[in-house]
Amino acid sequence: MSKPASGEKDNSLLQLEDVSRSYQMGQVEVKALIRVTLDIVRGEFIVILGPSGSGKTTLLNLIGGIDSPSSGKITVDGIEITALDEKGLTGYRRNHIGFIFQFFNLIPTLTAKENVEFAAELVEKPGDVLEVLELVGLKERANHYPSELSGGEQQRVAIARAMVKDPPILLCDEPTGELDFETGKHILAAMRRINEVNRKTVLLVTHNTAIGDIAHRVIRLRSGEIVEVRQNPSPADPQELRW
Amino acid sequence: MNKLQRKLVRDLAASKGLILAVAVVIFLGVALFGASFMGYQNLKSSYDYSYERLRFADFTVKVGEAPSNAVEELEVIPGVAAVTGRVNTDIALELPGDDGKRVEARVISLPSGERAAVNDVKVEEGSYFQGDDGNVLLVEKSFAKHHELNPGDTVSLTVDDQEISFRIAGIVTSPEYIWAAKSRQEILVSPETFGVVFVSQDTVSELVGKPSINEFCFLIDEGADRDSIIAQVEDELVPYGVMEVVTREEQPSYAALEQDLEGFGAMAAAFPLLFLSVGALATYILLTRIVHSQRAQIGLMRAIGYSRRQVLVHYLSFALVIGIIGALSGAIAGYLLSEVITNFYIGFLGLPFTKIEMQWLAVAEGIFIGILPCIVAGILPAYSASRISPAEAMRTPPPATGRKILLERLFPFLTRLSSLWKIPLRNIFRNRRRSLYTVIGVTFGVSLILVSAGMMDSVEALIDFQFNDIQRYDAQVTFAQPQPIALVDEVNGWDEVEEAQPVLQIPIRLEHGEKTYFTFVMGLSPDSELYGLHSTGGGQVAVSDERILLSEGLRKTLDIDAGDVITLRSSFAFQQVEVAGFVKQPLGSFGYVTVEQAQELAGGQDIISGLMLNVKPEYIDTIREKANQIPATASVELTAETKGEIDEMMDLGMAIMWVMLAFGATLAFAIVFTTVTVNILERRREIATMRTLGEGKIRIAGMITVENLLLGLAGLIPGILLGYGLALYYFRLMQTDMFSFDLVIFPTTYVLTAGVVIFIMLISQLPGIRQVNRLNLAQMTKEQAT
Repeated sequence: MSKPASGEKDNSLLQLEDVSRSYQMGQVEVKALIRVTLDIVRGEFIVILGPSGSGKTTLLNLIGGIDSPSSGKITVDGIEITALDEKGLTGYRRNHIGFIFQFFNLIPTLTAKENVEFAAELVEKPGDVLEVLELVGLKERANHYPSELSGGEQQRVAIARAMVKDPPILLCDEPTGELDFETGKHILAAMRRINEVNRKTVLLVTHNTAIGDIAHRVIRLRSGEIVEVRQNPSPADPQELRW
Repeated sequence: MNKLQRKLVRDLAASKGLILAVAVVIFLGVALFGASFMGYQNLKSSYDYSYERLRFADFTVKVGEAPSNAVEELEVIPGVAAVTGRVNTDIALELPGDDGKRVEARVISLPSGERAAVNDVKVEEGSYFQGDDGNVLLVEKSFAKHHELNPGDTVSLTVDDQEISFRIAGIVTSPEYIWAAKSRQEILVSPETFGVVFVSQDTVSELVGKPSINEFCFLIDEGADRDSIIAQVEDELVPYGVMEVVTREEQPSYAALEQDLEGFGAMAAAFPLLFLSVGALATYILLTRIVHSQRAQIGLMRAIGYSRRQVLVHYLSFALVIGIIGALSGAIAGYLLSEVITNFYIGFLGLPFTKIEMQWLAVAEGIFIGILPCIVAGILPAYSASRISPAEAMRTPPPATGRKILLERLFPFLTRLSSLWKIPLRNIFRNRRRSLYTVIGVTFGVSLILVSAGMMDSVEALIDFQFNDIQRYDAQVTFAQPQPIALVDEVNGWDEVEEAQPVLQIPIRLEHGEKTYFTFVMGLSPDSELYGLHSTGGGQVAVSDERILLSEGLRKTLDIDAGDVITLRSSFAFQQVEVAGFVKQPLGSFGYVTVEQAQELAGGQDIISGLMLNVKPEYIDTIREKANQIPATASVELTAETKGEIDEMMDLGMAIMWVMLAFGATLAFAIVFTTVTVNILERRREIATMRTLGEGKIRIAGMITVENLLLGLAGLIPGILLGYGLALYYFRLMQTDMFSFDLVIFPTTYVLTAGVVIFIMLISQLPGIRQVNRLNLAQMTKEQAT
């Protein structure tokens, strides 16, 4: 697996500086993320690990522009997204981010192909829908509704949906959480392929430590803080994973 | 079609039952608006057009007697556009046939040659007077139709005890008798006993031996001051004894039709409003539910880059589609219904002229008022959808807060109830807003049903009161000329008659301060049992000397109260008497005095104008023939026959009430169906879990039923109160000196209304329960909570 050119200033894609996020839940203030600073380079495959409540989804949401930090600055591709207004954030999500969720979140009333088109219609130069579906191995199932697809197939539709906009960053929140072991590995392999072949930067959030082995870099969170950043000189093949 | 639009179409299809239910409410509102508003417009313009074409009088002045050339002095009054002088009198008319059936005919003169400048007639069949064609007359259409009179038939009028034969030249319609009312006091009069005929002025002059007239009809210039013209006219006519001035608004037929139209107008405003507000409520409930259930989808849309505006427009489109479906179909149905109503009315009334135009503006208004409430109702949920934070939307929401409800804290025994009762109770309070909507929906449904049913009950009670409690006689004989009171004893001696009682009806002007009212006083025996007088305070009352009883409608018209002194002015005398009290009188407004007192008002002679008879049952069919043997008999009215006629006339109103009732029931169904189905949909996961735990389908259906029944019962009481209030309000609007009826709702109606609504509730929850029974438990319990 080719390694991204980390450390090179002009190759830097994403910077988080002192980013904190806290929520008010009733009388209690929950500190979901505490002063996180991070620099991610183009083409990196990053796995964010941590137990439930450690702040990993919050981190992903902040990067994805669907949540805003309480303090700190996030810059993506030279754009300071923390300074963007609602309209700017929508545009940012539209052009820079592809989301993949644990529960797939497909529109049940649209077929696989239509779900992908649903996202394709948002950008000026989308990828070819059928090509993208072929990339995830679902061309034959293009006209099936989500209820007619297995969990793995649904997640592959979700990946195709994220890919069709051709965004530089893919954010995956527990993408294998709802899948069995074998299917999960297929999905991870697909992501890895996208990272390598399509040169997408992938941030994958999971509580499954084994998945960390396939990343270029593993970031471990606990109670809202980064407790460990580990470079992985030789990422494993997803097919070799065991959990 | 882009994918967002495709999603909209498929989402709509997925919820088509609910979407249709809500659209039906909008449909009903718009259809009702269209039908009543366009019906109102069609009738109004047809009436106005008829009035215009036949030059319907702006006002009419009745005098004692005037020479026919008196018209010339009136024509020159500034502002007077045209005047017609004529004779207007009631005479006995004998119909063709062997039984010598007599009716009271209103005989009105018309110019012999040219057509009347004011109050002309339209010849529907046959012809107008054509010079030297002997004794001919024209017969008003509804009367001719009832008695199957045709041009060429012969009828006879009794003038000075002489029967004079007339050939029918034509059948006509008149702007004054579109609704053939005898007077403001006798709005509902059967053609069996009363009809209008027109004779030429020359013939009348020949018959009475002099060219005199007793009525002047005026048309005034546009923009002229009618009151000041009336004042000048009255001054001019003083020598001829001005008896009454009747303005166009007071003219009985005009007033009756106008009141009916107002009813339409009120209906066009009030009822659609009710439906459309319920429609808005239902749209809100449904859309809130859709947004809630699609939280994750909304989160996704926002996350992948759909803008707030796109989300807002997307969800608002649901409301828009409901509005468009309901409004467009409602506008079409409203238009068709208005045609039906208009044609029915036109056929029923036999209007001289009709003017029906396609009212595009009304159609557009209907569509607008159908879509608007949906959009308004949709804005809030659609806006909240657009504000959903994508990060939050994709998190599993925490379970709804559960706790003991206030009722349980107040009544601890409730906590010991079985879950069959406890769960429904808590559910009601868990989503209070939703429960409130259900209650409001039921309330509106109940009130609509009750208003319609209340109208029917009231009309039934009115007819029952009029014909069982007031007119207790089997037959009433009316004389063309006053008869000696000795006739009472003579008729009491007839084999056919159980009892005969006198009545003396005198035209009179009631005066109290500035207020005056032209009506009749009825002279009755103090011990009269055949004419019931019922005090407004309850209980029966009788006429007494030197005092007068008044119909309740006059309390307001004359601004008078019991104990006040009122002036009675007739052609012969005037009296000042004390008002003894007020009696219930649904149709018309009269004064009641003793026969002796009425005789004084009639010039002090011992006369009567009619007889009320109780007839032995075996003679009921022959009494008319017998009474017609009295030469002066003008008409014999059989109470049972008149009641039948009135029942028929009321059928029209009843048909409208039935339609309203059906609308009310549909409304109740639609709102209950919507809220119940939404409630069930929202709890599918919870219900599936209960099923997984081992709850039986029947018990779950039981819980749903208990919850809905409790909400139904909660809506029943305010619904009854609101319905009663609405009906009362509607009745107050309708109270005039012509009609004054009490709101009556039979106890059985309350029970039936409650029964119907409970039944509707039970029916409308069936689709929801069916869905629960088909739940895929494995899938539902695993699905992400929404």
